[in-house]
Amino acid sequence: MSSSIANETVGTANAKEGITLHGFLTNTWFLYAVSLCGFFFLWDRVAYLQIFGDSLARPHVVAQKLYTLSQVKFAGTNLAGHIWASTQRVLIGFGLASVIAVPLGLFMSLNQHVNALVKPIFDLFKPMPPIAWVSISILWFGIGEFSKIFIIAIGTFVPCLLNAYNGIRLIEPELYDVIRVLGGNRKDEIFQVSFPASFPAIFAGLQISLSVAWTCLLAAELMNARNGMGFLIKRGMDTHDPALVLGGMVLIAAMAWLSSLLISLLERKCCPWKRSIDNL
Amino acid sequence: MAYEEIAVNKPLILKILPFVSVGAFLLLWEWIVVSGTVPSVLLAPPSQVFTLFINKLSEPNPDGAVLAVHAWTSLQEAFLGYGLSLLVGIPLGLAMGWFKVVEGLARPIFELIRPIPPIAWIPLTVFWFGIGLTGKVFIIWIAGIVPCVINAYVGVRMTQPALIQMARTYGATDWQIFCQLCIPSALPMIFGALQIALAYCWTNLVGAELLAADTGLGYLITMGGRLGRPDIVVLGMISVGISGAILGFIIDCIEKKLLAGIRR
Amino acid sequence: MTTAGTACPPLKIHCEDISKTFIQKGHIGVPVVRDINLDVEENEFLVVLGPGQCGKSTLLRIIAGLETPDTGYVTLDGDPVTGPGPDRGLVFQGYMLFAWETVMGNVEMGLKLRGIPKKERQAIARHYIKLVGLEDFEKHYPHQLSGGMKQRVGIARAYANSPKVMLLDEPFGQLDAQTRMYMQHETARIWEHEKRTVIFVTNNIDEALFLADRIILMEGKLPGRIKKEYVIDFPRPRDHAHKSILELRAVITAETELVL
Repeated sequence: MSSSIANETVGTANAKEGITLHGFLTNTWFLYAVSLCGFFFLWDRVAYLQIFGDSLARPHVVAQKLYTLSQVKFAGTNLAGHIWASTQRVLIGFGLASVIAVPLGLFMSLNQHVNALVKPIFDLFKPMPPIAWVSISILWFGIGEFSKIFIIAIGTFVPCLLNAYNGIRLIEPELYDVIRVLGGNRKDEIFQVSFPASFPAIFAGLQISLSVAWTCLLAAELMNARNGMGFLIKRGMDTHDPALVLGGMVLIAAMAWLSSLLISLLERKCCPWKRSIDNL
Repeated sequence: MAYEEIAVNKPLILKILPFVSVGAFLLLWEWIVVSGTVPSVLLAPPSQVFTLFINKLSEPNPDGAVLAVHAWTSLQEAFLGYGLSLLVGIPLGLAMGWFKVVEGLARPIFELIRPIPPIAWIPLTVFWFGIGLTGKVFIIWIAGIVPCVINAYVGVRMTQPALIQMARTYGATDWQIFCQLCIPSALPMIFGALQIALAYCWTNLVGAELLAADTGLGYLITMGGRLGRPDIVVLGMISVGISGAILGFIIDCIEKKLLAGIRR
Repeated sequence: MTTAGTACPPLKIHCEDISKTFIQKGHIGVPVVRDINLDVEENEFLVVLGPGQCGKSTLLRIIAGLETPDTGYVTLDGDPVTGPGPDRGLVFQGYMLFAWETVMGNVEMGLKLRGIPKKERQAIARHYIKLVGLEDFEKHYPHQLSGGMKQRVGIARAYANSPKVMLLDEPFGQLDAQTRMYMQHETARIWEHEKRTVIFVTNNIDEALFLADRIILMEGKLPGRIKKEYVIDFPRPRDHAHKSILELRAVITAETELVL
């Protein structure tokens, strides 16, 4: 009964929406199309009229540039090679950090002695932006692969650990009571409640880490690199080639978006029980 | 739920352990450098960093400015960018949450820009604005605006439909509902964005300064790296960390005040 | 006030002088229950009735073994209760289902924890899922169920573990009035079907009258004490609007202080 009333409310609210804003012109998809067309048109005009001098490339020039790069070798490899070089760094750094940070976070929240020992040190490092590690990692590991992986690992470590940690701490304590009443022991509490219940939080952490990872990668590659998408952007900056810069930005955005999509899919696979809430 | 028992006496060991671990950490750090396990060209011991800190309060060399100037530059950029992102992001997010047209027009562009890491804008901002204040403020603005928009949007969307319905039955107009119902109910989410946006801004500030700057804490770190002076790098990192933590703390206090204000 | 545990029906649960004080905000002690003496007979349906915040849930949690009383003790079949165990099944007010398990996964959890082989435990679980009328929802996740259905899973989960005593902590407190009435009928039906000793905590007097063999009325303020005891021997199934029930309802209502 109560649910039908709720539905009615939503229903009328939607109907109201339809009347106040007039039909086709306010159709969401139409607006999306208008917005995208407007965006690209504006971009093109601004570039064409040289409002920023010669420092903005027209959209089709950027597309052309990307196409050329995918055909021709640039700085030793073609576009796919650059994308793979960056992706590889992210995968290794991110993988390394999450494999260490998630279990450590879980462990910290389950054992208060470990927590008391690790948390203060962790708190010392937490406020330091990961990008601040760029210089010292170059100092330590030179300009090779490892210094980039190190920065990515450092940057992704914090959100991974924090989310795993909070994921367990925010579990409804009564759920543990259920296990105890059903005859379970501490081990059962951990395996039947703590771990599964913290899954969504861990995934949220992975999601944040991933976006941090791409930022860190970019910072590292902008500082120095011989290949990768950040390298393309840096080269575009050094040779004053806005098309190359924008091309690099488009690529890295696409990769960041794609990887976050992958994590979402993985989450849906791992947590089929999670209620999907649609928002931004 | 109401049965959480609060431990009256935290076991002594749990009170001591944090100090032990931080102390051990600092001692270990000092020791591995002093003993030569890690060469001093790679890492500076805490004592040296502290001496440098005292020196840098008055000594502009070798990087061209005293610590206070670096910090002031960074703070200025951060606050300008942060303020602008709040100023633009929150109203935009609110409007996107309530007005279908605004959402339809703004959302695709927002979704296009969102996955670009803010520091990827550095080359373009250098082309457009040079390495001065404007470019960095732009990057910080881009970084901070994302959480503001998202939280304001979600905040409006989470307004209880029953309340909106009630307002309608009292004859409120769309605009009145938006101003007097949706915005207040989105406030807690918006305050939540303050903290997140600040963290984003601060991170990307360092990134922006690493590449294009002539003063600022991020620049201090880069210069330390270029000069091969690990003590300067570490000092820069610590300064960034501490000032970020202080800012976070201040915002946290403001947030709590504001939240207490609306609860009443 | 103590119904001295005389010989005739076997005593299932015996609470002796139970008191409990919670410590809040560091060191403010809040006495929650005081001097509770209570005996529950085998297969008796006992309802603990009291308004919100009168310590009745705490009493239940002490019997479940989730809280330790400051003074006094609880025995089950003569053995002192030292902690929670599968011999007492608890149904929670907030359902407390495992969101990551299906209905089947939830109901078989207790059996799984005790290491019963998969096939066997699923057969048992299926029996209880059927008993609560959810046989078509075995593979559903809790968020796909309505409140009443969730609580039926909670009841099946407790039942499946074949406890000696069922403890229900305001199980229908979050349901709307109609579902609540329906769930009361269901509870009575399930109980008649598989008799257990039941302690049922509620703040709803009609629920108490409908279900109870005996009602324990708690005082309306902290610390919780037992105020009165009523034996209800009306035949089942009962009717909420039956004359003698309404008369008793008036008597009990007169005893209950209104707490606002």
